[in-house]
Amino acid sequence: MDNTERLIQEKIKREIETQTRRHFIKDCVAGMGGIALSSLFFSCNSFFDNKKGGKLSLTERDLNPLATLAPPFPPKVKSVIYLHMAGAPSQLEMFDYKPELQKLHNQSCPESFLEGRKFAFIRGVPKLLGPQAKFNQVGEAGNWVSEYLPHFKKVADEVAFLKAVNTDQFNHGPAQLFMHTGSPRLGRPSIGSWVTYGLGSENQNLPGFVVLTSGGKNPSAGKSVWGSGFLPSVYQGVQCRSKGDPVLYIDDPKGMSRGLKKRTIDAINSINKEEFDNYSDPETLARINQYEMAYRMQIAVPEVMNINNEPDYIKEMYGVEKGKESFANNCLLARKLVEKGVRFVQLFDWGWDSHGTDHSTAVDLGLKNKCREIDRPISALILDLKQRGLLDDTLVVWGGEFGRTPMQENREGKEQGYKGRDHHVDAFTMWMAGGGVKKGASWGKTDEIGFSALEGQVSVHDVHATILHLLGFNHEQFTYDFQGRPFRLTDVHGHVIKEILA
Amino acid sequence: MTHFLTFLGRLHPLIVHLPIGFILLGLLLQWYNRKQDMHLDKAISIAFLWAGISAVAACITGLLLYTHEGFAYDTVKLHLWFGIITAVCSFIYYVRISHIAFHKTPVIIFSILILIVISATGHFGGNITHGSDYLTEPLPPSVKRIIGIETQEGNEIALNEEELDDAILYSDIIQPILDNKCVSCHGPKKSKGELALHTPEAIQKGGENGAVIDLKTPDSSAIYHRLILPVDHEDHMPPKEKTPLTKHEIALIKVWIEHEANFDKSIGQLQLDHELFTSFFKNENSSELPPVSVATVSKDVISNLKKSTAFGIQPVSKSTSFLEVSCLNFPDFKDADLNTLKPFFKNIVSINLRGTQVSDDIFNSLIKLPNLQTLKLDNTQVSGAGIGSLQKLEYLRTISVTNTNFEAASLKDLALLENLEKVYIFNTPAAQSPQENTDITFTINYGNYTLPIIATDTIIY
Repeated sequence: MDNTERLIQEKIKREIETQTRRHFIKDCVAGMGGIALSSLFFSCNSFFDNKKGGKLSLTERDLNPLATLAPPFPPKVKSVIYLHMAGAPSQLEMFDYKPELQKLHNQSCPESFLEGRKFAFIRGVPKLLGPQAKFNQVGEAGNWVSEYLPHFKKVADEVAFLKAVNTDQFNHGPAQLFMHTGSPRLGRPSIGSWVTYGLGSENQNLPGFVVLTSGGKNPSAGKSVWGSGFLPSVYQGVQCRSKGDPVLYIDDPKGMSRGLKKRTIDAINSINKEEFDNYSDPETLARINQYEMAYRMQIAVPEVMNINNEPDYIKEMYGVEKGKESFANNCLLARKLVEKGVRFVQLFDWGWDSHGTDHSTAVDLGLKNKCREIDRPISALILDLKQRGLLDDTLVVWGGEFGRTPMQENREGKEQGYKGRDHHVDAFTMWMAGGGVKKGASWGKTDEIGFSALEGQVSVHDVHATILHLLGFNHEQFTYDFQGRPFRLTDVHGHVIKEILA
Repeated sequence: MTHFLTFLGRLHPLIVHLPIGFILLGLLLQWYNRKQDMHLDKAISIAFLWAGISAVAACITGLLLYTHEGFAYDTVKLHLWFGIITAVCSFIYYVRISHIAFHKTPVIIFSILILIVISATGHFGGNITHGSDYLTEPLPPSVKRIIGIETQEGNEIALNEEELDDAILYSDIIQPILDNKCVSCHGPKKSKGELALHTPEAIQKGGENGAVIDLKTPDSSAIYHRLILPVDHEDHMPPKEKTPLTKHEIALIKVWIEHEANFDKSIGQLQLDHELFTSFFKNENSSELPPVSVATVSKDVISNLKKSTAFGIQPVSKSTSFLEVSCLNFPDFKDADLNTLKPFFKNIVSINLRGTQVSDDIFNSLIKLPNLQTLKLDNTQVSGAGIGSLQKLEYLRTISVTNTNFEAASLKDLALLENLEKVYIFNTPAAQSPQENTDITFTINYGNYTLPIIATDTIIY
């Protein structure tokens, strides 16, 4: 026995001897790394409260993520309808009247405008392109609106124009992301997600953030423009179709009764609940909520998305096209959704990229068609919201991802057969209408040819700050903690545009 | 040379950590050595020697920082003297440990003393850079009150439009602007460029470059001129990283100098245009709610009610106790259901009964909501009979009854409501026969807008 004991003693001694300083440091590094990592992971996980010894603490909000929340400040509006003209509409043919540009039509663009600048397609020295539309002063406020939008004059006194918005992205994808998420790169939540995260949604049977597209294509930036980024994915936009079933597979398949469906979903959810109890992944909760929402949506969505029950004179006012995917149908749907308490309705209409490469993108041909497609629906939407008392609680925002150049596009340095304009980031027009917005206001001025802003220059962040302000947020305090730091929609920028507030 | 000294001064935040480390190390060793059994005296004395040396270095760099960065003596005095005491104490400790002659005085006294001194020095230093409320700021207001800290709200400049002419331009507007945007660097605490802007005397005195106000050429007064330089300009004020003045504030500073930088006259006496001040008028947001105070309803009461009924109930905003009630998810709502809200009738400012089973009897119940401002009854069967009783609701501003059986007679009853502003009656019997009614002081929206078909609607280019 003595010998074995001695042997063991010796073994322990040897082991200690092999533990050099190098081993100690190595172990330390691994240990420290572990500690650092755990703190990193901890910052991503809002469900563990370390004061309670790592116990799960779920709030009411986690269980019902779309429950309504009060905004920090008394709001002016409760809902937003955001109309995005994907491709970037030409402000020079719609709202920004430049008679001087007409006089300079077909003259070469002065070098001073081109120095040190990059355009998406313009090469060399392009020619200036006069406005292709006639303009009139409309309404009591006397704002200029082009003849491309004959119906719009009836609502022009309801809107506040921003004539000198600028962006810093001249390609569609990044510019659309910037316009909707506040960052030209992927990964940030869209404004609709921020708003539904911050306020929840009134109607328990409908998504809080609905997206409708028209014009035959989704926006160039893809579905990230209504994505939820680092916010829980329950806040991402839900795309509904305006033709056929609003949501795919919304009807139960043959032989599947509603009761059976309910039992199926309950079974799936109880498995998911177990999964959540074991791993605490917040995305599992999102999945449970989505299943329940989908079940309730089966009844509510077909009802709200059915525009056939609307009276004929309303359908005529919007110019609804039965059974088709159209911007007019989407505008009517937007009104119905807002009426039903949906927080954020996002409309994308594709086909505004007026480069002048063919008939459909010519500013004197195709653009006229696009303007006709939106003129009646938008005017009808504002009037319809107004007559129902909904415009007091709703904000309507109109814009593209950037504007278009006062110069005629000369792709590859060659003259083009059709009249078109290139992408332009320095100054373009957007407008807002609804609660808290100064009716008939116009803020910002561009130079004689509409190239640069002279005064009232506002950025995309300023637009975001203003939208959040109207919803009752201070954009600087509305944050979400992610990867160890608070994030804002407006990042470190943005000023509320007080000039267009009532 | 000055540049180098300024640079040395800026090493202060780095160097101050050395004496802290050495002192803590020394105290720790002393604690291990408390029974004199580890023979650490030598090490302890070395630690305190270096603590003393580095504390002197910290004092020197600190003095350089103080003299070159425009700190006021009052701001730094506590930190300065405690810093010097720290250095002295470190050397005393060193002498106590390393010289046998002093071994009779109990070392614990020195230990406690030096711990207090170093903590105080660190704290006062932190207060200079982060502000004296930095440490206590995150505490909840209730705790702050107990330990005797005043809770301050932001100094928002809020003018009253009616009393504008009586407001003194300098003391009611200009000085508050300076207080908010300038005094943190040019004031009693810090006076960068030897300039302070917190009193009329200090403003008139000017800074190291002379007077900041030039009455002959107001535009070139430094106090105005430096505000309008490009942001990237070296002399632009406030510096890039601080909050800039708004353009309205800058405009007012200019107006003030043009009026001889007068310190006593009121806006009325100076005959200034009221347009200049519109951006400083009290925020209308808060006054849109009824000017009464109501007790806050506990969150539990609301969440219990939300669980047992389908009412949507939520505060108008996080900072008020007024509530909005919505029956959007409660299509079966009947008149009697209103009584479930009885505990907080006074809190309700908005009620949305759109698309519910509500009847005309609701008007008799609604008069129990004294602070109601908005009433939505669209898409229901109400005809408006008895709506006149709502005249008791003095804050009621908006009523919408679109898509209902609302009668023209009921519209007349609404004339009794004094503060009513808007009524929406689209698609009701009342809207069929718009009548001229001179008694009515509110706007009636009849709706029924149309967009007539025009030739261009069908032209495809």
